[in-house]
Amino acid sequence: MAKEMIAMLLAGGQGSRLYALTQKLAKPAVPFGGKYRIIDFPLSNCVNSGIDTVGILTQYQPLVLNEYIGNGQPWDLDRLYGGVHVLPPYQQASGSDWYKGTANAIYQNISFIERYNPQYVIILSGDQICKQDYSDFLRFHKEKGAEFSVAVMEVPWDEASRFGLMVADENDKITEFQEKPKNPKSNLASMGIYIFNWDILKKYLVEDEADPNSENDFGNNIIPNLLRDGRNMYAYHFDGYWKDVGTISSLWEANMEVLDPEHSGINLFDENWKIYSRNSGMTGHKIGADAVVENSMITDGCRIHGHVKHSILFAGVQVEPGAEVEDAVVMGGTVIKAGAVVKHCIVAENVVIGENAVVGAMPTEGEKGVATIGSGIYIGDGAKIGPNAMVNNNVKGGEEQW
Amino acid sequence: MVNSNANALGILFPNSYDSLVPELVGERLMASIPFAGRYRMVDFMLSSMVNCGIDNVSLIVRKNYHSLMDHLGSGREWDLTRKNGGLNIVPPFAEKTVKVYNGRVEALSSILDFLKDQKQQYVVMADTNIAANFDFKAMINEHIKSGADVSIAYAKVEIPVSARQSTNISGGLYYTLEVEDGDVKEIYINPKDEGIQNCSMNIYVVGREFLIEQIHDAFVKGYSYFERDIVAPQLDKLKVHGYLFEGYLARISDMKSYFDENMKLLDDKNLDALFSPNPIYTKIRDDNPTRYIQGAVVKNVMAADGCVIEGEVENSVLFRGVKVAKGAIVKNCVLMQDTVIGEGAKVEYLITDKNVTISAGKEVKGTDTFPVYVAKYQVV
Repeated sequence: MAKEMIAMLLAGGQGSRLYALTQKLAKPAVPFGGKYRIIDFPLSNCVNSGIDTVGILTQYQPLVLNEYIGNGQPWDLDRLYGGVHVLPPYQQASGSDWYKGTANAIYQNISFIERYNPQYVIILSGDQICKQDYSDFLRFHKEKGAEFSVAVMEVPWDEASRFGLMVADENDKITEFQEKPKNPKSNLASMGIYIFNWDILKKYLVEDEADPNSENDFGNNIIPNLLRDGRNMYAYHFDGYWKDVGTISSLWEANMEVLDPEHSGINLFDENWKIYSRNSGMTGHKIGADAVVENSMITDGCRIHGHVKHSILFAGVQVEPGAEVEDAVVMGGTVIKAGAVVKHCIVAENVVIGENAVVGAMPTEGEKGVATIGSGIYIGDGAKIGPNAMVNNNVKGGEEQW
Repeated sequence: MVNSNANALGILFPNSYDSLVPELVGERLMASIPFAGRYRMVDFMLSSMVNCGIDNVSLIVRKNYHSLMDHLGSGREWDLTRKNGGLNIVPPFAEKTVKVYNGRVEALSSILDFLKDQKQQYVVMADTNIAANFDFKAMINEHIKSGADVSIAYAKVEIPVSARQSTNISGGLYYTLEVEDGDVKEIYINPKDEGIQNCSMNIYVVGREFLIEQIHDAFVKGYSYFERDIVAPQLDKLKVHGYLFEGYLARISDMKSYFDENMKLLDDKNLDALFSPNPIYTKIRDDNPTRYIQGAVVKNVMAADGCVIEGEVENSVLFRGVKVAKGAIVKNCVLMQDTVIGEGAKVEYLITDKNVTISAGKEVKGTDTFPVYVAKYQVV
């Protein structure tokens, strides 16, 4: 039985700009928004859009991601036919190879896609926070009679040169593609989400593979080749919340925006578009008699006895009496001991911050850094971590790191 | 084969003691009463069994079990979706001549054939009116070591006041034990003694074949209660072992105790005791984390995921998806899932069932000894 559309999710990115957070896990597995991981967003979008077959292309540090995805049950993607499959590079009779680029990753899994004989394939990116109805995108693709469509966002003109830009006519037909141009002719930034007719995609993947000079990349090779051949290419306008969380500051910012869904952030409180995740299974959180909690998000299993202000606390975080947490993203299982001050920073999973230690600082005129503590790190009593620090190793009591 | 599992199957009686809390079981049964923020009563015994390697659990239901079936589903959350064993819900056979069962004897006789086909050597049985992190494996091991025919778990606690004061037995029987060197010498039925007693938890370990034999005999004689009609009269013939449970337990015996047992979990010591050493599993709802909006004031609160708090909350237990609007004041309350407290409303000593709405500006106050209860889907 053929599937109308299946999804291929690019999750191989190392996320090197997230430094301490991606030492041991791939970027799509980075925790987000209190109880989610980044990959929950594209996966939930798929399920909510009616896509029941998803291939996840992994390469870098896949262990956490593999375990997290499991059989796909939390996303309702444990199916008899289809469902979610993690696809690492593998050995074949003709030899084996790492995924050389985004296009090559799909090329190496042509046989996976053909098992489902789909009409359309949607290519997704595992490093974006976004709620998007892919079925509406597909409707657009079909209505336009497109062979290739790309989802685009309007960005401010002065920022346009940071993006891959689609130049389109009044019918949304793409006429030109500019990759990070000095003089942008358009402000329609590619979101890295594509729908292809499968026959077209396959033809171009095979062709691209045969080209020894190709970087095997969608943006640099496949899309320019489609344009060269005058294929039917259309730009689908998306105007919801979308954030690429590829850097520490954008990840921190996107988390903070969750606290204000009415104005800036993604709305996680949407019964009609739930974001699914693998659950911690912890019991309800507890706010102590002397605790103060202001404008924050608190997840199951937390124990709060200190002062938490404008922060996001993931499952099982403990904040001891007298500790202060402000503008912070604190991931699961972290313990913040008595009197510690944790501000304007990202603290990864299972960190211990010792008594009276200071991590990060509220931004000042010249200093807007987001301090980052990697997972499993121990920060000793009274240690001081500066606002630009990126902590990968334990810090002894009383020491400083800037 | 590697033997990682307990050599026992589990049987739960989800309807036992329903009549103690008539308000809460209007459209459900004891097992599906919401408790402790995100759980249902059944989760505790069920999870305890699973955590001890019991992966064949039957629930013999009697009535009002839709909510329980919805909660348990295929048993996946408890890791009981198994090809062999797993979760097994046994509803009563709808025959004209068969009445819905009364005691455990009738309940068990309805699954005698099933019991005969099983392979486990022991059977553990429990009700769902007690929330505890119970170590069945320890009890089974002690049962084996003692060489007893039957083991009964008991705790040293007071008989609930409501049970002591009740004059009829329609609320269900309760038992205290006289234990000497681990052997049960006497079983008292519905005693009225004050002070700490050896209160039976109605948790039993018995040999499977022994159980089949006893139930068969008892059913033929028209008996209905396992304790009263089988164990108690044969104390001289059988070796009955008392297993002392010293962990934390919450027993639901009436509305007041329901309120108190929820409130007791605001003490971290009690919360940790109930939820350790092993996790308690429950149905997943995929709620977002709880959000405290600017202006919210919270003191001594346990809340599950999915709440949105804008008002003032003190000394309360909030279940999943509770909304407390701006200016609302909530004190000493137990608010079940998806309760909405409207803007400026004031509530104290209130228990709301699922999906209750307290409209803006309304005041609802109970007292310490008599909390007000608002039923499912009601709008005040």
